[in-house]
Amino acid sequence: MPVITFGEAIKQAYREEMQRDKNVFLMGEDVGRWGSLYRSSTGLLEEFGSEQIKDAPISEAAIAGCGVGSALMGMRPIVEFMYIDFISIAMDQIVNHAAKWHQLSNGKIKLPMVIKTQGGAGRRNSSQHSQSLENWFVNVPGLITVMPSTPYDVKGLLKSAIRNDNPVVFIEHKCLYFDKQEVPEEEYLIPLGKADVKRTGDNVTIIATSWMVSFALQAAETLADEGISCEVIDPRTLWPLDKETIIQSVKKTGLCLVVTEAPAEGGWSGEASSVVHEHCFSELKKPVKRHCSIRTGIPYGATLEREVIPGAESIAGAVRELTNAPSSSPLTP
Amino acid sequence: MSGVSLKNLYEEMLLLRRFDKLSMRLKMKDLIYSGYHPTEGQEAVAVGFCGALRDDDVLLSTHRPHIHAVAGGCTMEAVLTEMMGRTTGCSGGLGGGMQYVDPEHNFYCGSVVGSNLPIATGVAMAMKQQGSDRVCMCMFGDGASNTGSFHEALNLAAIWKLPVIFVCENNGFAEAMPVEEFVACKRISSRSRAYDLEEISIDGNDVEACRATADDLIERTRKGEGPFLVEAVTYRIRGHYVGDPEKTYRTKDEVAEKKQEEPLVRARERLLEQGTDAAELDALEGPIKERLDALSEWAVEQPFPTLEQAIDNVYIPLTEGEVACR
Ligand SMILES: Cc1ncc(C[n+]2csc(CCOP(=O)(O)OP(=O)(O)O)c2C)c(N)n1
Repeated sequence: MPVITFGEAIKQAYREEMQRDKNVFLMGEDVGRWGSLYRSSTGLLEEFGSEQIKDAPISEAAIAGCGVGSALMGMRPIVEFMYIDFISIAMDQIVNHAAKWHQLSNGKIKLPMVIKTQGGAGRRNSSQHSQSLENWFVNVPGLITVMPSTPYDVKGLLKSAIRNDNPVVFIEHKCLYFDKQEVPEEEYLIPLGKADVKRTGDNVTIIATSWMVSFALQAAETLADEGISCEVIDPRTLWPLDKETIIQSVKKTGLCLVVTEAPAEGGWSGEASSVVHEHCFSELKKPVKRHCSIRTGIPYGATLEREVIPGAESIAGAVRELTNAPSSSPLTP
Repeated sequence: MSGVSLKNLYEEMLLLRRFDKLSMRLKMKDLIYSGYHPTEGQEAVAVGFCGALRDDDVLLSTHRPHIHAVAGGCTMEAVLTEMMGRTTGCSGGLGGGMQYVDPEHNFYCGSVVGSNLPIATGVAMAMKQQGSDRVCMCMFGDGASNTGSFHEALNLAAIWKLPVIFVCENNGFAEAMPVEEFVACKRISSRSRAYDLEEISIDGNDVEACRATADDLIERTRKGEGPFLVEAVTYRIRGHYVGDPEKTYRTKDEVAEKKQEEPLVRARERLLEQGTDAAELDALEGPIKERLDALSEWAVEQPFPTLEQAIDNVYIPLTEGEVACR
C-alpha cells in the first residue's frame, strides 16, 4: 500500500470526487494557484480547471454565501476557510442559513456543502490563527462536525462529507498535513458518525480528538510500560457522536479521560463526559476527567503554545491521576 | 509639506528598508516564529502617511504592520522584539509579528484581513463624540477592500461623517491574487463613489506625494471634513512571505521592472537632480547600520515570557484573588 501524507490524502479525495461528479467544486482563497495553504490541492487547478477549482477573493462571508447559494442550485461546493479563526466572518451564512434552510423548507431543500478549514496550535501562529473553535459548530443543530486525525481517515471521511447532503464542517489540524500513513489505492469511504478505536486496552478509556489523538497514543505507549493499559478512542465525528463505541469501552474500563485542544469550559469535552456519566454511571470507578487546554489565548513564541495545550506527557500525567499512579504533570488541574 | 525635507523622508525610508532586511534575516535564523511579511517597496506609504500623524492620533494596521508601527511612533525595540516573542515587545511577546497593540503609542494591528476597518470607525466615532480634533488612520491592503468589513465601515463612517482616513495600500497583490483579477474596479479609490466620498488615488511610491496628501487629509479631517478613502498605489517587491511560490503569480521580469520605480530609487533620483551629493546620501547608511546592529544584539538577549505571563490577563477577575484564566 502506498504511504502518503495527510495533505496528499485530501487531494486524492478531491480528485476522486471531482472526477465522479462535475458538480463538486472547491472554492477558497489561494486554493488554485497555491494549491491551498498546506498544499492539499496543488496541481488540481491545471487538472480540473477554474470551474472546479476556484480562487476566491478575501471575502469570507461571500465564500460561505456562494457555498449556500450553489448548493441550493444543486451543486456540491467545498468552501475552504484558510484558518478556522476567519470562519467567524462567515458565521452568519453557516449558522443562520446553511444550518437552517433544510428545516425551514420542511426538508425540501438540501444543502450538500462541505465547510472545510484547519485549526489548532502548534505552528507558532499566535492567538488569531491557532484556535480550536469546533465547539461552536457542535452546538448548532443542522451541522455535522468532523475532525479527522490520520491520512487514512481524512480521505475516507472527506469523501463521505462531500457525498453527504447536509452542511458538514470539516476541521483539519494544521500540524497533521505532513503526517504519513499507508492509504489503499482502491476506493473506500468512512461513514460519518462512526468512532474509531485507535488502540485497545483494559484500564482506562482515553477519548481524544484531532491532533490530540497522536499524543494520547504516545501517552498510552508510555503508560503500557508502567502497567496501565489504555484504550484510545477517536470519535472522528464530534456530532453526531458515536456514543455506542464510547459507552462499550467505558463499561469495560470503568475510567475515562477526555482530551481536547479546545478549552474544557463550555465545550464538546463536557458533552462527551456527560454521555459517559449518563450511560456508564454504575460502571464508573471515578468521575470522568477532562484534560484540555488552559483557558487562554494561544500565546506566541517557540515553546509557550505547547505549554498551554495538552501533550503526551501531560496526558500520561492525567491518566496516572485517574488510576492513582504517582503523577508529575504540571498542567493537570 | 510641514517643513520636512525630502532628505529626511529618504532617511526614514532607508531606516525602514534596513529594518525590514534585519527582520528577514532574523526570520531566516528562526528568531521570528510566525510568518514574516516583508515590506520592501512600501516605505513611502508608511513614512508619508503613518509618519504624518500627531502623537495622540490613532493608527490601525494589518498583518504587515512593522513599518507602519515604527513610522507611526512605536519603538523599533518594541516592534522587533514583539516579532521575536520577547517580553519587551509591544504585547509582551504574546502577539507575534502580525497582531500586537501598543496603547502608549496609539498603535493597534491584527492579523484578520479587513477587521481593522470597522474598529477604526468605532475609534473615530468616539473621537468625534468626545469633541477632540484627533484623527484615526486605518491602513489596509487591496485584498482587504474585498471584505464586507471594508464596505460596512465605509458606509458607517460616511453617514456619520467620522474623522477617519482609510488608507488602501494597493501593492498589487493579496497573497497570490493579482489585484487586476480580484478587484472588480480599475481603481480601488472608485469604491468611494458608492459612499459619496472623494475619489483619491495617488502614486504610493512617491514619498512627497504621500506626505503632502496625508498632511492635507489629516488637516481636513481635523476640521470635520472626513472621512476619506485614499488609494496609494505601490508594489510588493518581495513575496507575500519569505519563500512563497512567486512563480505561480508573477514573473521575475515584472519584479525587476517594478524595482526601477520603488520609493527609495525614486527619492534618491530626485535628490540627486536637486543637487544633493550622492556621497551625502550614502553616508546615511553607516549610522543606520550601527543602530540596527546594536538593536539586534540587544534584542536576542531579551527574555521570553513565562507560562504565568502567557496565561495571565485573560480576563479581569470578578473577585480579588480569582485565578484569571480558569
Ligand atoms: C479574514 C482573513 N482572510 C484571509 C487571511 C489570510 N491572509 C493573510 S494576508 C492575506 C492577503 C491580504 O492582502 P492585502 O489586503 O492586499 O494586503 P497585503 O498582504 O498585500 O499587504 C490573506 C488572504 C486573513 N489573515 N484574514
